[in-house]
Amino acid sequence: MKIERVTFTFRGTLPVASFSEFAQHRAARLSVDLTSRSQSEAHAEMSVAGQADLVDAFEMAMSLGPQDCIVHDVIRVDDATEEGSKE
Amino acid sequence: MTQSGWVPVALSAMIEAGTSAGVVVDGAEIVVWRDISGKAHAWEDRCPHRGMKMSFGFVRGDHIACLYHGWEYDESGNCQYIPAHPDLEVPKSICISRYGVAETGGMIWAHVPLGSEAGAAPELAEAEGLRSLYVDASVAAVASALGSDVSGSMLTVSTADVALSIGVQPISDTQCALHVTVPMGTSVEEKNAVLDWCEALRRQVENSEAMA
Repeated sequence: MKIERVTFTFRGTLPVASFSEFAQHRAARLSVDLTSRSQSEAHAEMSVAGQADLVDAFEMAMSLGPQDCIVHDVIRVDDATEEGSKE
Repeated sequence: MTQSGWVPVALSAMIEAGTSAGVVVDGAEIVVWRDISGKAHAWEDRCPHRGMKMSFGFVRGDHIACLYHGWEYDESGNCQYIPAHPDLEVPKSICISRYGVAETGGMIWAHVPLGSEAGAAPELAEAEGLRSLYVDASVAAVASALGSDVSGSMLTVSTADVALSIGVQPISDTQCALHVTVPMGTSVEEKNAVLDWCEALRRQVENSEAMA
């Protein structure tokens, strides 16, 4: 299986607690590894690793965000793709 | 008060193999479905993808598929297939929570609340499901009208010379379902009399609630 490593930067109105909780919940649901790089009320940078389709699904979910957030922009940087296993 | 333990959620005969139905217990939405081999399942009635009710979905063999995007779940509740991503190895984290389920006394039972340790299911005599009666009144109001106490989610009543065993499903503070069963071998005439009694009971209880 191909594992994709991607760094996302989300920009918008992003209350830290709810956006972070939403990201962690979605990452757990989609079984992708999530590392938060930096976060403020206006931006969040996150590294994600997992199956390509699931990383895409994470991006889609985060672009909607929780109810109290508005995501204006998503910047996606594909860091690497490698063979691996991920449950 | 939120119920805890085994609760009847449907008459066994009402959920045919290969079909599903949505039920509510104390506000919790549950999909009750029977796979093609006849085994009953009770799950949280929500697809983890977009929240669609699984009770609107389709049973495919021993899987149930969501109506919305076709995500297909096996009998363990794990998603096995996503049509939009046919090559994806679906992770076990994409799953639906299951209730403990049992069939006894002509009814399907679910153990609530979700995630609670399911002890032994009630042991009830074989019975024939007659009808599920939905009443706009609390369980307490129904029990009061019958002059009977609910014991282990069951009411026992004798009417028209028939001993009824009634499974009680609380839906909300103001609604409940009564799953009415009769002994095996009850005659058609007796069943018709019981059905009339059911209608009369509902009118009596709902009219009392309206007057209160």
